[in-house]
Amino acid sequence: MTTKSILNSLASKGIISDQQANTIASFESEKAFSIHWELRSVLYLGILFFSSGAGILIYENIDTIGHQAIIAVIALITAGCFYYTYKNSLPYSCEKVENPNKLIDYVLLLGCSTFLGLEGYLQYQYNLFGTRYGLAVIIPTVVFFLCAYRFDHRGALSMAITGLASWLGLTIAPLSVLADNDFSDGKLIMPAIALGCVLTAAGWLSETQNIKKHFAFTYMLMGGNLACIAAQIGLFSHSPKILYFFIGIGLCYFFIHRARHAQSLLFLLMGTVYGYSIITYTIFDNLGPDAAFGLGIFYFFFSSIGVIYFLLNFKKFLGVKPAIKK
Amino acid sequence: MKKAYNQTWVENLYVHRQAAAWKSKNLLTSEQEEEVKTQFAEKFYRPGIFVKIGLFLFGVVACSFFVGFLSLFIYDTSSEVGFSTLSLICCACFVFMLEYLIKTKNLFHSGVDNALLYAAIIAAMVPVFLLFEHAPVWAYCLIALVIIVPATLRYADLLGPVMIFGLIFTIMAELMMKFPLGKALLPFAVMILSAMIYALARKNNDIYYHECRQILEVLALVTFYLGGNYLVVRELNALINGLNVSVAPQIAFAPLFYLFTFIIPVCYVFWGLKKADRILFIIGLVAFAFSVYTYTHYFGILTASQELVLGGTLMIATTIILIKYLHTAKYGISDEQNRKNSLENLQAVIAAQELGVTPASPGLEFGGGTFGGGGAGEAY
Repeated sequence: MTTKSILNSLASKGIISDQQANTIASFESEKAFSIHWELRSVLYLGILFFSSGAGILIYENIDTIGHQAIIAVIALITAGCFYYTYKNSLPYSCEKVENPNKLIDYVLLLGCSTFLGLEGYLQYQYNLFGTRYGLAVIIPTVVFFLCAYRFDHRGALSMAITGLASWLGLTIAPLSVLADNDFSDGKLIMPAIALGCVLTAAGWLSETQNIKKHFAFTYMLMGGNLACIAAQIGLFSHSPKILYFFIGIGLCYFFIHRARHAQSLLFLLMGTVYGYSIITYTIFDNLGPDAAFGLGIFYFFFSSIGVIYFLLNFKKFLGVKPAIKK
Repeated sequence: MKKAYNQTWVENLYVHRQAAAWKSKNLLTSEQEEEVKTQFAEKFYRPGIFVKIGLFLFGVVACSFFVGFLSLFIYDTSSEVGFSTLSLICCACFVFMLEYLIKTKNLFHSGVDNALLYAAIIAAMVPVFLLFEHAPVWAYCLIALVIIVPATLRYADLLGPVMIFGLIFTIMAELMMKFPLGKALLPFAVMILSAMIYALARKNNDIYYHECRQILEVLALVTFYLGGNYLVVRELNALINGLNVSVAPQIAFAPLFYLFTFIIPVCYVFWGLKKADRILFIIGLVAFAFSVYTYTHYFGILTASQELVLGGTLMIATTIILIKYLHTAKYGISDEQNRKNSLENLQAVIAAQELGVTPASPGLEFGGGTFGGGGAGEAY
């Protein structure tokens, strides 16, 4: 299978003319080897090396430079980033804004991180916010939400959602949800579920109301994972179990049905995996240890085959159109 | 080896991808791309990556509980022979299921078939470990190769080439480590073996093994470079000779390895650019970075932070100069975004052909795309 043989078969089936085949062949043989992405990667790596090297250099020489100077530099970088982003951004729109200037995405992200760094530095060195940690967290959250909507940046949106959750006494990020949070305190579970549901609803609304439709994915992914994991922890270790069971199953049902309008089959996977573990836990919890052991092998074997059958035929079950995004 | 998946469909998938690439460069019209899709049909079940992950996970669960399920019917599972029998029966069931699903459900690397294949191979390997307990490592590797090579040829699984590559190198290292001369010549043996594997992989033009071939190429290029790298050779030399010292001693043929460390990345990058081979080019760049690290590891006089600043500055400066230099394509190398290209005259050719001789409406749907060629602009 070479380009030539493909072109020949296309031409022989009458899809393209001989003339077009010749043009494509000559294009393929003459086209230049583009090293665009390689050059950009090296450039970003260079920037990363330079900035981290400079950071370490400053850290090593902090006594001779002084804190005020460093804070001033960080503040200048932050201000510069936000100014550049504002200058080069396109006006606000409820649709997705395609800015041909890809650099501002990175600049905005850099600005947001340095803003966080600046705030952390001020708090660490001068105890700016004292013990009002809530205030310290909510300021960047608001700033990031504004940035996310104004400059159409999903990275800033994720940071804002994380900030919002930290403000509620949590830190969410897809992988560290379980690692960092202490869910053993039952008080946190309900707020976590509530926040997750609110975020999911926000995603739902932004899609139906057509306000930044492409943000729905980020909202639902982060909110959904938070709510589902919190519901599961509640189910495993707290009562009333029946409440958590219905919340969890309801969320999973919602996600599996999302696959109809799917932007991504990720939600199908989330719904299936969370739903499977919730149902499995409930069944075994109610059976008692002896019956559970006897049933276990049969249950897992047949149920996982059932799930595979469902995933192989989900289009039929859900009535999804074949044109679903792959 | 007869191929498990439908060869024509695999080839048609490749044609689709090629057509999509031409479409994105406005070399084909949307109607022509649709025509390609209907004329070169494929009916593989290829869900998204997330459904694949789910299928794989539940496939693994199903396979492992199938073993447990079956063990209920076989009483004598505690002895080695009994468990080996169970394992072989499972292997047969997995392979049967794999073939059945591929035939009926048109799977193509969809998660379940990967899980079943891995489970079958593991089940086939278990008796080997149980029944021959004190065989040398290379014997195990050889038996594993006998199982995995045909499986890879049949199913073209992506983990196959990785396993085969690792096993071949383990066998070679194991055999050469037995002799003092073998230890000394190990780097050269690694390089020769890598070169041979690379040459063999390049010979294969079957689309069915396209991805497998790319994986083998990457691995062979990396080991070829590492086999000649001064740092790797010096440190590993100290390690395998059991020298427990803080600074590894100088090695034999040191100048030769200095030369290899410098010349291999340069050759990779040069040939990658010349032959328009992206794998070669990118590995060359990474290898070059590792060579720089090798140099600074032994001869560096700067601290880590100073090196970072200097390296970063050089990288930024070089790339910016290159981006400016490649604003127009030179020597067959360009800096075009999105790998898109716009050939105005080709547009005209297609337009004329599509609309007959009368180009009536100006609203051609393939004219309106964003094809602002001519390189970087501000967007880096």
